Amino acid sequence: MADSASGSAADKSVQVKLVLLGEAAVGKSSVVLRFVSNEFQPNKEPTIGAAFLTQKCRLEDRILRYEIWDTAGQERFHSLAPMYYRNAQAAVVVYDVTKASSLEKAKSWVKELQRQANPNIVIALAGNKVDLVQSSASSSSAASPPESEDEADDATATPGETPGAAGEPESLRQVPREEAQAYATEAGLLFFETSAKTGEGIVDIFTEIAKKIPIEHILASTRGNAGRPGAGGSRAEGTRQQAVNLEEDPNKAKDACNC
Amino acid sequence: MSISTALRHFKEPTKEELTQIFFSLPPTSGVPKSDNSSDEDVEKMEINAVLSVGEAEDSYAGKLHIMPPYLAFSSLDRKSVRFTIPLSTIRRVERLNARAGVYALSLLTWHGMKIIVQLTSLRPTADLFCSLLRDALKVELQRGQMKLVKGFVKTCYSELLISETSNAGDNEHEDGSLITDEKSGSRQEVSYHGGLGLKFKFPGDPKKLREGSKIKLWTTYLKTHGRNLTLLRYPQCTRLVQVGLPNRLRGEMWETLSGSIYLRFANPGYYERLLEEHKGRTTTSTDDIEKDLHRSLPEYAGYQSEDGINALRRVLRAYSFMNPELGYCQAMNILAAAILIYMSEEQAFWLLEVLCGRLLPGYYAPSMHGTLLDQRVFESLVQRYLPIIHDHFQAVDVQLSVASLPWFLSLYINSMPMVFAFRIVDCFFCMGPKVLFQVGLAILKINGEQLLQIQDDGGFLNLMRDYFASLGESAHPSSSDPRARAITVFQELLLVSFREFSIITDEIILSERKRFRSEIIHSIESFARRGAVRNLRTLGRFNKEQAGLIYDALYKAMCIVPPPPATAPPPTLLTTADGHHEERPETRIGLRTFRYFLSEIATWARDDKIVMNGFQQRLDREVAEHEFIDRLFYFWDTGCHGALSFQDLVSGLDGVMFNDLMDNIEWFFNLHDKNKDGFLTKDEVLTLSETFLFIFRYEIGDAYLGAVSRFMTNAFEYGDALLPQPEQSKSKDSNTEPESPPPVSSNQPYLNLATFRMVVLAEEVLESFFETDLSESFKLEHLPEMDLPLANSGILGDLWSSIATDSNKKIFNMFTDEIGKTIGKHQARLPPSDIHPGLN
Repeated sequence: MADSASGSAADKSVQVKLVLLGEAAVGKSSVVLRFVSNEFQPNKEPTIGAAFLTQKCRLEDRILRYEIWDTAGQERFHSLAPMYYRNAQAAVVVYDVTKASSLEKAKSWVKELQRQANPNIVIALAGNKVDLVQSSASSSSAASPPESEDEADDATATPGETPGAAGEPESLRQVPREEAQAYATEAGLLFFETSAKTGEGIVDIFTEIAKKIPIEHILASTRGNAGRPGAGGSRAEGTRQQAVNLEEDPNKAKDACNC
Repeated sequence: MSISTALRHFKEPTKEELTQIFFSLPPTSGVPKSDNSSDEDVEKMEINAVLSVGEAEDSYAGKLHIMPPYLAFSSLDRKSVRFTIPLSTIRRVERLNARAGVYALSLLTWHGMKIIVQLTSLRPTADLFCSLLRDALKVELQRGQMKLVKGFVKTCYSELLISETSNAGDNEHEDGSLITDEKSGSRQEVSYHGGLGLKFKFPGDPKKLREGSKIKLWTTYLKTHGRNLTLLRYPQCTRLVQVGLPNRLRGEMWETLSGSIYLRFANPGYYERLLEEHKGRTTTSTDDIEKDLHRSLPEYAGYQSEDGINALRRVLRAYSFMNPELGYCQAMNILAAAILIYMSEEQAFWLLEVLCGRLLPGYYAPSMHGTLLDQRVFESLVQRYLPIIHDHFQAVDVQLSVASLPWFLSLYINSMPMVFAFRIVDCFFCMGPKVLFQVGLAILKINGEQLLQIQDDGGFLNLMRDYFASLGESAHPSSSDPRARAITVFQELLLVSFREFSIITDEIILSERKRFRSEIIHSIESFARRGAVRNLRTLGRFNKEQAGLIYDALYKAMCIVPPPPATAPPPTLLTTADGHHEERPETRIGLRTFRYFLSEIATWARDDKIVMNGFQQRLDREVAEHEFIDRLFYFWDTGCHGALSFQDLVSGLDGVMFNDLMDNIEWFFNLHDKNKDGFLTKDEVLTLSETFLFIFRYEIGDAYLGAVSRFMTNAFEYGDALLPQPEQSKSKDSNTEPESPPPVSSNQPYLNLATFRMVVLAEEVLESFFETDLSESFKLEHLPEMDLPLANSGILGDLWSSIATDSNKKIFNMFTDEIGKTIGKHQARLPPSDIHPGLN
């Protein structure tokens, strides 16, 4: 219970529930792992239902405490997802830049979140495994066997599927940055291309989300509900207030995320 | 997007099936039988009996069942004593010298054990039972099963244990490994099945686990109570399991206790053949399996080597080939990896079958309905037995499943340190699925005080994580009593599970599942429905609610005429990593299903009859069959799949339901213009007229018939007139293309849209048909809730649900019709027409 105690003691710490969604093997767990412990681990236990991790993130004088729910990607676990994204204030929808179908799945997640989740949820779209399509990676990926598990930013790649066997790395790219960016803009999402392997773009996701989240309201509602700090109650109220004033000083927060 | 109606086909197990489940017998259908199906109609029977064996055990009254090819017994309380023995292991049956009124049989098993059963039913019943037993034994002899026993038992570790009894006990290290000069003599012929643990060590410290003394106790038990195929389960068996199985024996005991050993015995070579048959094949399941191979208990040494990974791959692949409908579900890799530590691939394969099929029904199915159902059941048990915790969770909006889902899905293996999880798995195989619930409740109860402090899902998970990490510690570290201090948190957990929650019986689980099943099915279905509507590429001009109604009609049609399973295109050797097969095969319906679908939506696509027979008035609906409906099917199949998806149906309906007069005329024209060249041929004009007649078939009076016949006359007149004639006759309309020769063959361009339109508009009836009636003949309506195949509990419910199948309803209807006819009250008439109410 140390966690929740510290949460209420430090008046300025804000708890943010964040859920990761996306097709199987796009690297959700790796993204989280990179963010939480700055590691990249090729072999991870699959997430049964969802894994739960926490990480703090400093933003100006505030401390955000991310509660991260890393969900299972297999299609049949889809019906369990609402259990994890309910009441979430933020979501990171991950796809694999080397796999076009994973963006389609990501879009369907975004649609679902926009319809079924907390109406003010901040959604970020992350195109992962960008290290595989960068020309700088060209020499290294050509030099090592493509099957090598720790070479690709993909803990779970099927050997035959691991790209890098032939041609220019850029040719592995199936989702052009511009296309995804355009979609994200249209759908009102934050957008990043990331690599859990190199760490590129990972922290940015969480920082930008932190800036966009109406912290004041979460804080206010938590304080207002101090008597009964029930998660459901406080979040519901936070939601209502956010609805009144959506764009409260989104630029006020400076990039101070210090994880 | 795929749509599944699988849940609709669920049937509550019959009493007979429940008995089979209780005795861990393979289902009569299901796993393909290796050989003859001649024992399909073998007779089953149960009889009251008293079981005794030797001096060591008390006699137990109970029921003896003959369920060829098995003989099974359970004591009256259904838990103290039981056995399930393949008949082929029975080597001799003797009728014991009858004292007056005592009817007893002595059964000698393969392992030389003598089982005495005294049949306490009436004499004729006992005689009947004996003759059934005799016949069944004969069949087994003829099938050659008797001969297989010898080779089979050699694959069991217990045989080795017993054969070396006299000295083996002392020959064992404390960790259960044998002190042997391996290659010597007799050992060679004994090749028992073992798991990765033999090579990579078993998890846990063998000293701490007290392997040596456990092995000794089991050796004694197995010597006197039979083993593997002939194991008799007396109370001591359960007690020994509860203190933890010894590592070397664990695999065999798991398969014996779970009954998977019977499958392995009955299907020799099946596993290897299956792998051989599907060699090199890739499917969506095998792709998923590959992704998880390296993250299945990766901390265990065996899975850091190719040996372990390959074994895991083969077992999971084989299972997915045997049961393609289930395929592979994450968490199965954890189970398979766990059991492979203790058993061979073949053993693990069959145990996985028992796990997925019988012990954890529906857990890993594509809808995961079994998982959702048991989570609901667990929640209701928490509400009943731990109401304070339940209320607190409600108050702070914490969801039990965020923690408990993986408990059930991975048998606690993913939650607890392996040594402890395997102890729970031991009990699970021995005592059944209720163990999962008992342990779950005990975990919550033990942590009750802290649970009342948590405020959210995250806090709940953290608390559970800390608790599981502490299982090896002392439960009472500050107690002055050293014996109390020695009790670990884990021991306390088992104690609370089996003492305080022994009230959770199999019957409770079954009845709770029954109670919540329809709720779960409904929520899964409505979730799927929402998703299907949301994921449509385009709604056209429909709103979401209307699209939902189209989905309902589709769903109902699929229940009545199930389409072939949605499959990815057949794998070929050319399937490379890039030309990857479709990830999520889309559900598409064939023509037959489409007819049902359309009959729900289009008035002319069904033949309704109102039947009154004096007892009931009912609407009989038959699906119309007509060339026009088939034509529509192919018209809407824009992707040329030979089948229609939900999206095709929505787009198709969108193309007709919002049309005005001119749109409709064009739509109708295009529908009949097969080669889409902008002309109807003469034949197509005829077909089109037939379509009119089909649609108008229930219209009363001559108005429609007359209109159609005038339409035809006009069409041909104008068509002929507009043909470019050599002498260039007077034409009112210059809308014709020149270049066709004068004699009109049946498949030559003949009537264009403009002319067609003109001819149609000349007929008032047809004009009004295209103006409104055609679009209105498609109606999206709320369908009445479909009955789930299961009714609510209660005797009457069961009775009715068994009557209320569709075919029975038909029989009932026929029956009442017949009576109605004989008493002169039967009449059937058409319902009022929908096509053109105005005209009637």
